[in-house]
Amino acid sequence: MFAATLQRLSSRGQRTLSLFSSSGPSNWSKVVSDAEKIVGYPTSFMSLRCLLSDELSNVAMHVRKLVGTQHPLLNTARGFVYDSKNNLQMRGLVVLLMSKAAGPSHTASDLLAQDMVSGIYPNQRNLAEITELIHTAFLVHRGIVDLKEWTVSDGPLKDMQFGNKMAVLSGDFLLANACTGLAQLDNTKVVELISSAIGDLVQGIYYENSNNTEENILTDGVDMATWEEQTFLSHGALLAKSCQAAMELAKHDKESQRLAYKYGKHLSLGHKLNSDLQPFVKSSMGESSPFSFSAAPVVFHRQIIGQERWHQQLEQVQTQRNQLNYSKLLAAVKSEKGVSSAVDLCCYHGNKALEAIQAFPSSEARSALENIASAITKF
Amino acid sequence: MAAPRWGQCFLRLNKSSSTTTLLETVWHFNVRSVSFSSSSLRRVSWSSGSRNEVQPSVRSTHLNPNTFNFTSSLIRHKSQLLYPKLQSCCCRKVHSDAKLKDPFTLAQKDLTSLYDDIKKELVVSKEELNSLCDYYFDGKGKAIRPMIVVLMARALNIHSNRDGDLLPGQRAIAMISEMIHTASLVHDDVIDGSDKRRGKQTINEVWGERKAILAGDFILSVASMALARIGNITVVKVLSQVIEDLVRGEFMQLGSKENENERFKHYLEKTFKKTASLIANSCKAVSILVNPDPEVHEIAFQYGRNVGIAFQLVDDVLDFTTGAAQLGKPVAADLKLGLATGPVLFACQQFPELHAMIMRRFSTKGDVDQAWQYVLQSDGVEQTKYLAQRYCQEAIKQVSLLRPSPERDALIRLTEMVLTRDK
Repeated sequence: MFAATLQRLSSRGQRTLSLFSSSGPSNWSKVVSDAEKIVGYPTSFMSLRCLLSDELSNVAMHVRKLVGTQHPLLNTARGFVYDSKNNLQMRGLVVLLMSKAAGPSHTASDLLAQDMVSGIYPNQRNLAEITELIHTAFLVHRGIVDLKEWTVSDGPLKDMQFGNKMAVLSGDFLLANACTGLAQLDNTKVVELISSAIGDLVQGIYYENSNNTEENILTDGVDMATWEEQTFLSHGALLAKSCQAAMELAKHDKESQRLAYKYGKHLSLGHKLNSDLQPFVKSSMGESSPFSFSAAPVVFHRQIIGQERWHQQLEQVQTQRNQLNYSKLLAAVKSEKGVSSAVDLCCYHGNKALEAIQAFPSSEARSALENIASAITKF
Repeated sequence: MAAPRWGQCFLRLNKSSSTTTLLETVWHFNVRSVSFSSSSLRRVSWSSGSRNEVQPSVRSTHLNPNTFNFTSSLIRHKSQLLYPKLQSCCCRKVHSDAKLKDPFTLAQKDLTSLYDDIKKELVVSKEELNSLCDYYFDGKGKAIRPMIVVLMARALNIHSNRDGDLLPGQRAIAMISEMIHTASLVHDDVIDGSDKRRGKQTINEVWGERKAILAGDFILSVASMALARIGNITVVKVLSQVIEDLVRGEFMQLGSKENENERFKHYLEKTFKKTASLIANSCKAVSILVNPDPEVHEIAFQYGRNVGIAFQLVDDVLDFTTGAAQLGKPVAADLKLGLATGPVLFACQQFPELHAMIMRRFSTKGDVDQAWQYVLQSDGVEQTKYLAQRYCQEAIKQVSLLRPSPERDALIRLTEMVLTRDK
């Protein structure tokens, strides 16, 4: 009974977190909007083409039927509207900034400098859009519900079936558009690289799911090294490989590609740590909302205090109605070193990202990338 | 030549019933391939005396208005109408001197390790994800797509003055076609809420919907990587189009069209996107790798397109005619999903009562049984089979433009198997 409740609670909490990856520090918005000016036009480019297509308008019409149900697709769809500035398009923006920071190609004669807009090749802009499409497709696919775990008290099963259908279709639609877009980039290396990023993303989400089953919450869980590996797959590979691909598209050398990859990788990890840390660093008022047990501070915490004490803590914070008191659990985690270890790790990745772009010539695009990397280490 | 004559037949066929507009629509949908083939028939083709060989296939369809009145024959002689004629015609014209090669036997050596090779591509560190991805690559599928790709590749290689042996990229395309197909099956099963496929439980039934969707996405990403490694950007573009078509086809299934003409056009377009595009574009992709001539690419594409549409039309017929045990999934599955396929659309002309049911996607209690009855009482099944036969004839005409080879003949024989399969 306890375990079942636990699992349901934590998987709900986890789902919410993955959809709304935190609002971040207050200066984040400013960093992002400054950076957007540098790349020419605001990055709400996320495929107007896709959003205005018959297929997605069709979905939008159907999604309205889900209002009042608990299907996660509804929240994801809301996120497109409300969260778009801060989170969803961060990846596209970084790809554009990276393209601009690396500058025009020195070797390839078939890439014409006059095709560039604001110092970015059209193909690199398309790549930025594709990166967003893929990211969004998986936000949608992450919200698929397992129907067998759905109980009557959660609402009608029919709604969930319908929501799943819409989520599968719209996610597939975004992915398919990403595939055709990739092919249009005319570079099979880039196609392979980004396809492998999609594979990484799937594996990462797969781990993410299985880390939230009841066995994993009550048994050993993952250690921090594994957490980093899995988080790279679920949150870092796409950006790292897209940054690398942006260099490949402009025929920059292997070293530039390696550095761009490194920036994307460390920035993503830092960003994830930052958002995982939010519930633990905010001065919380009143009830704490559920947080994921695979959030970095919790993973550190469990590793530090050991399995036995973790179990004790879980039992201590259980309410009479078999639910968890997250405020108490939060306080328990905060009282140990888990939070500060996660902050240290966040800074480490932020610095690694900064380090990676020092080899690029100084420019306003590079400064913007530096600002973004610094912003993720501020709390 | 062929085109105008077919056109006349259709018009004539329709006069005595209310089907004029519908079949015209069907006809216009197919017109592109017909106009292409009628022009290509004028070209020199490889088989000696090809003009004499190809044309009989058109004549032997018994559609020539001078032969007899088709409409009455369709109604009176349902059972005799279809297969025997096609069978005898293509055997006679292609294999007068050579022993028939079974497509399965012929493609066997290229397909033996196909599933093992696919599994090697799909290896991931997460064990459970591995078993999900391997689940349908158990060697028990029909592997019809890789078979067509392999036979087409060999036929095209011989046509292009080489030996038949597959190029590495062509073999990769055979694998990729099966992977894309499987990925889309896995997602379709979630969308349709199916619990059985090929006589076993579906992935969503065993592991749940979340994991099933991820498994499908993963198979697709691996297919896409393998595709990129072939190193030919045109091939990448051709097969990426398939992925988009598959999704758009699935979207097309969400809506119903009020107007009958539109409805049939919509149905055939959906059928192309959901089924034929993969076969057509895989055939085109293997042709691109061996031959620079766009006309050859078009032959490969049109063969795949026509066979693919015929394949699906037969599938839609089987949904009405096969028992659950044979097909490995419940009968009238399409009706239960609210989908109006060929047999229903044809039946709707004889039983206008179906119109309202189609529009409400058979959602009212009793609709499915009622619609089923109407279809069985109508000529819907026969007319759909007939249409499938026409597509097969077109496929034969296309592939006959290639230089003769055992593989080319196997592709011709395969059209017959598409029509006569019962599961």
